Amino acid sequence: MSALPRRLYIFTGKGGVGKTTLSKAFVRELSQKGHDAVYLTFRNQALGADHQGNFETSKSGIREVFLDLEECARGYIEKRLNTKLVSSWIVKTPFFRAIINMVPGFSYLIYLGKILEMGKDNPKLIVVLDAPASGHALTMVEATSNFRQIFNTGIISEDTTKMLSRLNDPEYTKMHVISLPSMMSWQEAIELRSGLTERTPVSVDITVNNCLFQLLEGHMDELPVGLKDKALNEKKLVEDNQSQMQCVLPHSLGLDSASVERDLVGSLSNLI
Amino acid sequence: MSLATKSFEIFCGTGGVGKTTLATARALNLSQQGLRVLLITIDPAKRLKDILGLTSESVGEVTEVSLQGTKLDALLMSPEKTILRMAAQNKSPDLASNRIVQILSRPYGGMNEILSLIELQLRFESQRYDVIVLDTPPGAHFLDFLEGIGKIRSFFDQSFVEIFSYLGQKTAKAGKKVLGLGLINRIVSGGVKKLLGYLQSVTGAEFIDDFVEAVQIIYQSKDVFLKGLALQDRLKSRTQCNWFLVTSVEQGKAQEAIDLKGHASHFIHQDHFLVLNKCLEQELTEWFPGDPKLIKVKASLEGKERHLKGRLRDAFPTVLEFPEIISLSPVEHIQYLTQKWKTYAT
Repeated sequence: MSALPRRLYIFTGKGGVGKTTLSKAFVRELSQKGHDAVYLTFRNQALGADHQGNFETSKSGIREVFLDLEECARGYIEKRLNTKLVSSWIVKTPFFRAIINMVPGFSYLIYLGKILEMGKDNPKLIVVLDAPASGHALTMVEATSNFRQIFNTGIISEDTTKMLSRLNDPEYTKMHVISLPSMMSWQEAIELRSGLTERTPVSVDITVNNCLFQLLEGHMDELPVGLKDKALNEKKLVEDNQSQMQCVLPHSLGLDSASVERDLVGSLSNLI
Repeated sequence: MSLATKSFEIFCGTGGVGKTTLATARALNLSQQGLRVLLITIDPAKRLKDILGLTSESVGEVTEVSLQGTKLDALLMSPEKTILRMAAQNKSPDLASNRIVQILSRPYGGMNEILSLIELQLRFESQRYDVIVLDTPPGAHFLDFLEGIGKIRSFFDQSFVEIFSYLGQKTAKAGKKVLGLGLINRIVSGGVKKLLGYLQSVTGAEFIDDFVEAVQIIYQSKDVFLKGLALQDRLKSRTQCNWFLVTSVEQGKAQEAIDLKGHASHFIHQDHFLVLNKCLEQELTEWFPGDPKLIKVKASLEGKERHLKGRLRDAFPTVLEFPEIISLSPVEHIQYLTQKWKTYAT
């Protein structure tokens, strides 16, 4: 087991499985262990009117970074062409916008480039990415190699090659697929994991979130039928597939996401 | 409550809420009413494919499926197949053979949303269906789907007409393979020329050649792309489209559903329905636990669900509730949901 955390953790899974809460709790746990960890997510998927700039806050006690597509694209172009003026102009041209917006994979390439650059600028930084759900996670993971093929030669192609060497480095990147303890969610998580492992050599683990059965253990006969079925199904699912589950997390009685997040801190060391 | 039959029914939502299952049940419900129904779905779980008896060969092709005696047509989106159909319809085989277009129309190349719009319009034009039920991709990406129309428009925006029509004339005169740097350098459109010049300094000349060729081929097929635009008015029309926003109690995400509605407000008209799946409330109210720990669990589950429903009822004109179903087999599950739809279709 490697003692050192990876540099980039990607949390994905279907919507509503608790990606955001879990990834924030994970950052909190890493920070408490003394690591320089940051929660990161994408603000927008398209270039346009909602240009808000990259945004960072530590109001909640952890560092949270929200990346803006236009700012990331502009930053890259500025670095490559060595001129801020031209880069600002390029990202504003309708032509550039139309192309980026027609091809969502392009935005992921831009975002991932920015994340890797942040990691290069601060060699201690650990980025926890609250990534897009399911199919879009596959698009994101595939984007870098797709664009390397598209560009074929030139500086961008070299840059995407460098990006791939880090994104595909098991020592650098690790992925977590989050699932709920239902058969449907579990099967989708398994499908997503195999989709991801077809596209990347890094490890992809499944975490099962929000399990009721642990709370209800010992009280099964006092439950209404539906709830009992739910708990028993959860239990069976977990027992049958435990070897494939990196982490099994209980349902939190907290009523809002901040208290659920705090509840989770301390139980996530398996994810490192 | 009116749940009248329209030409289109769009299911959108946060993902993992049973959206595809509910859309399938709705399609079956419509089919049982004697309507000719097409169900279009993007990236469905294997489980659903199994239930419908769809194989990997049927991806991208309309396939007749049958569930417990009810028949309907289903289409699993394949960007590649849609591109092939567009190329055939537009008689532009180059569209399907261009290298860049091919890479981008891989299953996860990211073009699903935009191409599903075009597919929707093509199927509507075929006049073979009374209702087309579309299961959109999960979450905020459903907005990508809606915005797809605007994206197509801006791609073919007037500001590019100059470069594109110039490129078009050029090919008409010179045949296909003469494109290249020489051509770029001769492009009159100053802004685009400058932009491509900068682009070339980071991508190399070869990419620019490929890129210009792809843009040009796509432009030649613009009529079939722009068909997606005709769809916009239909989806906006109350007489032609029902919108279903799906979320689940499990997720407890009222805000996300409300945000989705807000972002989509220029599309979504009065006939939109919030579908709340996996409700436990009915069962919980009839449960009186004695153990203090269970009392807490009940209070937590019930409190979360009531809070969620309160917020959703404030934000949506109609909330359709579907209960959590655990014990049934997948096929029975769909049947149960189909029955439940029947009770809503007054």
